[in-house]
Amino acid sequence: MSRIVAFCFLFIAAVVADVRMDAQPAWSTFKPPFGAIAPLDSEEIPGAVKGDSFKSHAVGVPQDDWLPDTGALSVHASSLIALNDGNIRAFWFAGTREGAADVVIVSAVFDSKSRLWGAPTTVIDRVGAERGLSRYIAKLGNPVPARMADGRLQLFFVTVSMGGWAGSSISTMISDDEGVTWSKPERLITSPLMNISTLVKSPSVQFADGRLGLPAYHEWIGRFGEFLRIEGSQVIDLRRMSAGRGTIQPVVLLQSNESASAYFRQTRGAQQLKQIPVSQTTDAGQSWQSAPDLDIANPNSAVSMVTLNDGVQLMAANNIETGRYRLVLMMNDGHGGRWHPIQILEDDESLPNDQRREFSYPYLISTNGSDAHLVYTWNRKRIRHIYFDGAWIEQAKIQLTTPVTKSLEQGVQ
Amino acid sequence: MMSYLQNSALIEMSISCSVVLMYCLQQLFRSTFPMILRIALIVILGNAFFWPLGFAMALPLAAYVRGVTGDLSIVTTLLLWSSVIGSAKPCPNGFKVFIVALALLFYPFALGLGMIDPYAWGYHSFILLLGVVCVAIVWGVAGWVRIVWIIALALMAWSVQWHESRNLWDYLFDPFLVFWALGSLIQAWRYKRREKAQSGYLFRAG
Repeated sequence: MSRIVAFCFLFIAAVVADVRMDAQPAWSTFKPPFGAIAPLDSEEIPGAVKGDSFKSHAVGVPQDDWLPDTGALSVHASSLIALNDGNIRAFWFAGTREGAADVVIVSAVFDSKSRLWGAPTTVIDRVGAERGLSRYIAKLGNPVPARMADGRLQLFFVTVSMGGWAGSSISTMISDDEGVTWSKPERLITSPLMNISTLVKSPSVQFADGRLGLPAYHEWIGRFGEFLRIEGSQVIDLRRMSAGRGTIQPVVLLQSNESASAYFRQTRGAQQLKQIPVSQTTDAGQSWQSAPDLDIANPNSAVSMVTLNDGVQLMAANNIETGRYRLVLMMNDGHGGRWHPIQILEDDESLPNDQRREFSYPYLISTNGSDAHLVYTWNRKRIRHIYFDGAWIEQAKIQLTTPVTKSLEQGVQ
Repeated sequence: MMSYLQNSALIEMSISCSVVLMYCLQQLFRSTFPMILRIALIVILGNAFFWPLGFAMALPLAAYVRGVTGDLSIVTTLLLWSSVIGSAKPCPNGFKVFIVALALLFYPFALGLGMIDPYAWGYHSFILLLGVVCVAIVWGVAGWVRIVWIIALALMAWSVQWHESRNLWDYLFDPFLVFWALGSLIQAWRYKRREKAQSGYLFRAG
């Protein structure tokens, strides 16, 4: 008798679970940034956007400054997001050293009119994270902001309870006021093994149905990319972007509402190619296939990329096989052409090995599809910000095939 | 919703920790405590794990354990609770073999071997759901009814999103279930070997 009752209960549970499974939202197409990826309107003035005060600057001179100093000995993993008022909000982590218990996630706003950074504020510290998540947290890392379909800001960040970064999980918070205040953190569940070893580094993409696609990666037994489909503060699906132990920190660039490419930081063995691995999807991220590497050196360091509204792509990367002492900005016409270095941002090649500094973790965004903001870690001491306005980028496009650019290529290859 | 999720998860973890501690105490004293003592111990230890104890700890003890282990699956939790609190039929060795075999197939692929990710099936796969129901029916028919209840409760918990995860696997399966199954099998094998060795004396020639 008890067996029959148990089977009846199982039947009811299975029916309820089936109904729940049917309620799972269907996969969606991508929502390309800046409306559609289309050629620029010929009457549009590059860089001339609401709240943009940089258009008057001379072509060929990108504007650079530093994110505000927090007094911390070590800073790293900066990221950016455009605010509704035209300003830019930056996030980064700061503490005595990477992985220390006193590391906090910090934010500051860049006023696009005055061209000044506001005072840094602490978004969350370790104790705040563990209280919100109701579990022990040993350290914080990698903050990545996103814009939700309803206009709110969402911040993804890494937390570790035990061990190194391989023990990471992703948590998230939501802000109703453009990042001034944040909700309690919530945990994303992404792995079947105690939910460890998932990290985030690169910007999310939007789906047409309003959900987010977040490129994440695993960094323990396997080192591979994973594409998370996010609804609110929960993962509702995930798809593998690569396999094995050689690809982390995917950056996703959309080509259409169905196709996209993911570019990785390589973590391959000593005998393998030190280039940028690539995966591609033609079904809006439901399945990914490995593609030939980009023929650009990668020393096991993060790359950052962004697509402008005319399809032109920008990449900030350390295009060397070892070390992180050189950082360059590269450009691609977005139609399968070559990547060309257009600006050497940092280069310590002439210095002896022990004096070379680290320029790493670049993060690129475009606020309007024709400009680009870049932040990166400057020797773990500061975060540098560089703004490439529309006019500068237009000039760079024109110069792509000129002898100046060619000599630049020869200089950095 | 959020605090309810976190509090229920902490309560679950507190009870699980107290059950494990009680199991260790029983092993230490080499005896099975009476039911009333077991329940009293679980209530006392459970409260000690759930409420912040102060000192240098900002969180309850259960939150420190949860930080390391994550949330246990519903199947692991209920098997653990029922094994110590109840006096039901023990878990058959066949089920433990099944768990270990499943882990050998599941974890390598779920942790990055190849492009097939069985963990992703937990979000949308009707075949996975059907397979889970079939497993429950097989063990129910074989006479172990407890697992039918436990799997049914796990499916219910997934349907109402009892935990933070929306992946069915997280309600059914976790590494602790595998460690327990593997440990039990090794223990059973060693016990059998010892028994066989001892019985060998009776029939030794000469």
